[in-house]
Amino acid sequence: MESLSTAQIVNRLTGIFREVLDEDSLVLRDDLTADQVESWDSLNHIDLIVAVERNFKIRFTTAEITSLKNVGELVNLVQRKLVTVV
Amino acid sequence: MSREVNTDRARQLRDLDYGSLLKASKRLESATTQKLNLALLSDAAAQRFVPLLRTLFHRSTVHAEVYEGAFDAIELEACDPSFGLYRFQPNAVVILNSVQALRANFARRPRDAAAFVDETATKIVRIWDTIQSRSSAIVIQSNFVLPYERCFGNFDQKVPQSFYSVVLALNSRIADAARERGSVLINDVESIASWVGRSRWFDDRFWDSAKLFCSTENLPLIANNIVDIVMASLGRVIKCIIVDLDNTLWGGVIGDDGLDGILLNQHGDGEAFYRLQCYLRELLKRGILLAVCSRNEMENALLPFEKHPDMVLRREDFTVFVANWNDKAENIRLIQRTLNIGFDSMVFLDDNPFERNLVRDLLPAVVVPELPEDPADYVRAISELNLFETASFSAEDLKRSELYGKEAERKEAEAAYASIDDFLQSLEMRITVARFDSFHLPRIVQLIQRSNQFNLTTRRLSEVECATLKDDERWVPLYVKLEDRLGDHGLISVVTLQTNGSSLAIRDWLMSCRVLARGVEQYIMNNVFERARQLGLTHVSGEFVATAKNAIVKDFFAGFGFEKVGQDENGRSRWSLEVSEYRPFRVFIRTVEAEKVVASS
Repeated sequence: MESLSTAQIVNRLTGIFREVLDEDSLVLRDDLTADQVESWDSLNHIDLIVAVERNFKIRFTTAEITSLKNVGELVNLVQRKLVTVV
Repeated sequence: MSREVNTDRARQLRDLDYGSLLKASKRLESATTQKLNLALLSDAAAQRFVPLLRTLFHRSTVHAEVYEGAFDAIELEACDPSFGLYRFQPNAVVILNSVQALRANFARRPRDAAAFVDETATKIVRIWDTIQSRSSAIVIQSNFVLPYERCFGNFDQKVPQSFYSVVLALNSRIADAARERGSVLINDVESIASWVGRSRWFDDRFWDSAKLFCSTENLPLIANNIVDIVMASLGRVIKCIIVDLDNTLWGGVIGDDGLDGILLNQHGDGEAFYRLQCYLRELLKRGILLAVCSRNEMENALLPFEKHPDMVLRREDFTVFVANWNDKAENIRLIQRTLNIGFDSMVFLDDNPFERNLVRDLLPAVVVPELPEDPADYVRAISELNLFETASFSAEDLKRSELYGKEAERKEAEAAYASIDDFLQSLEMRITVARFDSFHLPRIVQLIQRSNQFNLTTRRLSEVECATLKDDERWVPLYVKLEDRLGDHGLISVVTLQTNGSSLAIRDWLMSCRVLARGVEQYIMNNVFERARQLGLTHVSGEFVATAKNAIVKDFFAGFGFEKVGQDENGRSRWSLEVSEYRPFRVFIRTVEAEKVVASS
């Protein structure tokens, strides 16, 4: 459906994270985890997932939602889902 | 500031986006007028409701403190005081039961579905009664969203032990029990979910991983529903719908198109207008007043009401009928003065965006819904806003339009008499003043909830509190009923008195504005002083608490010769008058003995 570069995905994710977590200057790195961002708690995690799903028109499984470890994994997951949609 | 809040009211009613509500919750200013403690108990995760509720209450100018009960501990919070519920002193306790938790309980049970329904319903009702025995909060109980799985297919409803039938039975048990309890209100979550559609309502992934009640985008709908219920219980209710005529009540322009040219019938293009009239008629039957505000010659405006065979609404269904060429804001002011109700209890329906904006601009408190371009969508657009929420319904509601109609007649009669005394005498008023009794309790509570203008302290006593006063010997809680030559006004005033040392203290005094300026308050004050005298008390004291709406009674005590004995910066003043100094007022009202009324009925 869409073919996006990693940079484009990270770019869109950054916008989503900043919006949902209400942190205007947040910068995403592959090894960034929830523990390192104060507002990234379990509730905001769900809001992030829903916002990402809506933005990229993809759907995560429960296992994917609960086992995501860091931003890098999320980027890969989004990339994989976009490919399968095509 | 307040104007900004109100101008947006109708539009905000629709704006229930999850993300923007959450964001707004972090930036709430404290420009609110009313405070409220709301407790939320649920067997689902409740955290997300807290910011949503705070934001939505803020829109209604209420500052809400929200207490989030421990997860899945509804019964414990209600029964075990070591939990925080009662320390929080809630004004409202919201109980939110999820069908997901119910399903898990049901699945673990052996086959006896009837016993399951009975146990679950009994437990829910016991929780309400426990809460209300320990606090004066109203209880807002959700019903259960119907499950999507159909283990018997279409046969589900024919089998009492299907989960679908169990949920149906439970919802009906909850409704039955709530009907018997004035202070228990139903949060009809099932109706919201079915409006959205069950397939979009649930997101099982988030129930599994975080015990979310439903998908996040739907959470604001529930929060908004709770706010609607609470606001109605605080007396913020719609009392009147003002409608335009041309292209609103019928298609076309009566003055141009003539009687046979306007669109109104049960088929085709005219059916949308026919349906709107049916909807308005249902609202009229439920006690909402109707008024016409039209730019028209009166003669033309009346024509369809007199001659058109497909009109559902009749001339006499409208308490006020205004058709002229003045601007609509001016005419709505006239309607407001005639009915004596607040602008914020009025809805204005007009197909013309210019008129809508004019009214929004000049009378920001009036609720002015956007009407869609296609008249076929009128009823849906209005009903989607849930404007007609109420916290009570009594026989008086049914009679309201009749009463207000009589009032208009009275105003006409008033002009025909030379002096006001002659006029009052001609009314042949008969009054009943009696102690609260259980028969009148529902109407008493309703009047307490609704009276904003003639209300000295605006304390919103709950049904439980009123029931307690009824039996408390230190209190004299009184209701007042009035009838006259032209009709029965029913229960129109509530006054509560408490003996306090050597004085009789007026704790609450409120009255329906329909019966202003005819000597009723003078009659009651005479009665209060007579009671003080009989009790051997030397003073009558009272308190006035200023609100945004009760300026009409700001000089109430001064008018009766009371002396101000104290005042604080919050608009609260205390007043006192010696019993020996009070001079009874001359009134033209005959006393009906309450005891005889009871005995003869």
